[in-house]
Amino acid sequence: MNLSTLKNKNQQEVTDFLSVKDREALVERFVSLGLPSKKSEEYRYFDVEKLLEKEYKTLNYVPRPLEISEKIEIVDGVVVAAPKGMRVYNDECKMIDMDHFDPLYYLGHLLSPSTIKIELDGDIHVEIEHTFTQSDALINYRIVLYNQANRHSTVYDNFVANDIKNTLVLYGYDMHIAQDSTLRMVKTHTMPDSSYSVVASHKVNVAKQANALFKSFDLGAGQALQLLRVELEEHAHVDAGHLLYLNADSKRGTVSQIVHKGEHSTSTQIAKNILDGNARGIFDALIKVEHSAKFTKADQNSKSILLHDKAYMASKPQLEIYIDELEASHGATTGQLDRKQLFYLQSRGISYVEARKMLVIAFANTLIETVKDTRQQERIQASFEEVFYSGHKN
Amino acid sequence: MSIMKIENLQAKIGDKQILKGLNLELEPGKVHAIMGPNGAGKSTLSKALVGHYDIEILGGDITYKGKSINEMEPEERALEGIFLSFQHPVEIPGVNNAYFLRTALNAKLKHQGKEELNAAEFLRAMKGHLEMLGMKSDMISRSLNEGFSGGEKKRNEILQMLILEPEVIILDEIDSGLDIDALRAVSEGINKMKDGKRSFLVITHYSRILDYIEPDYIHVLKDGKVIKTAGPELVPYLEEHGYDGIEED
Repeated sequence: MNLSTLKNKNQQEVTDFLSVKDREALVERFVSLGLPSKKSEEYRYFDVEKLLEKEYKTLNYVPRPLEISEKIEIVDGVVVAAPKGMRVYNDECKMIDMDHFDPLYYLGHLLSPSTIKIELDGDIHVEIEHTFTQSDALINYRIVLYNQANRHSTVYDNFVANDIKNTLVLYGYDMHIAQDSTLRMVKTHTMPDSSYSVVASHKVNVAKQANALFKSFDLGAGQALQLLRVELEEHAHVDAGHLLYLNADSKRGTVSQIVHKGEHSTSTQIAKNILDGNARGIFDALIKVEHSAKFTKADQNSKSILLHDKAYMASKPQLEIYIDELEASHGATTGQLDRKQLFYLQSRGISYVEARKMLVIAFANTLIETVKDTRQQERIQASFEEVFYSGHKN
Repeated sequence: MSIMKIENLQAKIGDKQILKGLNLELEPGKVHAIMGPNGAGKSTLSKALVGHYDIEILGGDITYKGKSINEMEPEERALEGIFLSFQHPVEIPGVNNAYFLRTALNAKLKHQGKEELNAAEFLRAMKGHLEMLGMKSDMISRSLNEGFSGGEKKRNEILQMLILEPEVIILDEIDSGLDIDALRAVSEGINKMKDGKRSFLVITHYSRILDYIEPDYIHVLKDGKVIKTAGPELVPYLEEHGYDGIEED
């Protein structure tokens, strides 16, 4: 399949090309947004066209009986294992966001008539492991994550790729966080090279008085973009944090919209970006406060450190506000490591190279430490240091 | 024989020349106090000695143990035994204080060809110092200087001095922002380091610290030069008359 075939196609042509039935609304939405290109604001820095122009083999997504495992295991878009007693099954996605800004959100749904549905109905911690084994493939799947009311769950989202190349992964979550519940999603995605690319398009509904924590740790090389749309109802809260550590020629980052719909909803979004080599980082984040969202509090900040003069950070924090009764702030800084801090460490006998490493790791740690589980925190720290030290062996 | 000799030192920060031919010799085992009005060049001198990036040396020489250090990197100077206690220590969020201290100590031990300390050995070595300085044990598990009060930052500087055991110790306004109890604790730490070999350069605006750390020499710095050197008897005179009436040696 060559996805660029969908460029400038009308509804009927898209319907025929994708062989879909009874999904007119989705096709209409996809066609109205158009296949992304460098002219699309959300994909402007991502070189998406190169990914869409390739010829990929398509996979058959045949549901399998689930094995018992400590984690939910998804291999090439098919769920193969889950913890005992956890409700994980394939089902049609009934709550698709019709206001998502990302055309690939709709394409992902059109390509995935059946989604993996995970019901979190206890106060649990669970790992979801995504494994990719197919080269030259388009791997597409959608996951619906439903957090029941009054429940407090944590999901650790991890990725494994087995010696593959030229594969494009289109996946994403539709998360529904019910009233008075909390969902913590901690994603750690290390890509050692550019053997595969990922576009992850998510939607998060945060119901009344519910909390969403979305922390992403994107490390290494490759090309990957997460596109996130969050809707907040009354007294709902989202705490989003994104750490990027990129090296080589990677292009990765976050494009997000946090939409305050309910009164007294609150959001915090912090991005910390460390760019090395020829890497390009992306943080294009909009906070939108609608007429109905009086007394909103919103805070957004992006800090970037460039370790190499060829590294580039596209930071674009934005506020779109339709009311007066709110507190909102946003900002972005991009610079080098703090010279005073470097000197302080050197003045104690620590070499320049080691001092740089300490400061970079410290910058990352301030976000890693927001993951409250010590074991997971150590795991993320180890992943970060492994990637960082692999590029700084001196 | 001096441990450090500064000859005709001229230095600038940005476009402004601050040090204009400064001469000073630090004797082993002695406490040298540098006093002088604002803008005289006291802090510039301390920065020049440790190789601060703000400073451009225009002329003159700094020798330490008979070797010129003008071209040495800051970390090399530190490993050789030169230590600056900063007037305003920076905060470094995310760098654990204990990890920083152990990294610095192990860099020094490695430089000396000695065995490095593991975490447990390091914590044992720290215990006595923490108690003497009246530092809470959680201060070393926090981020380096982050959220520390002025007094805590200065105690942390002295803690670093105690564990690194330098040979030339430059204290840049160590007394600023300290209450009496903190001043006493900090002074105790400094006095503990006096061993008849180490040399101290105490930069201060006020004589209060000199009640606790008895100086051997007072040097008056004015307009980028040392204009007078005398014994501790000069302190009460300066307190009473200020720097205007001081005549150049």
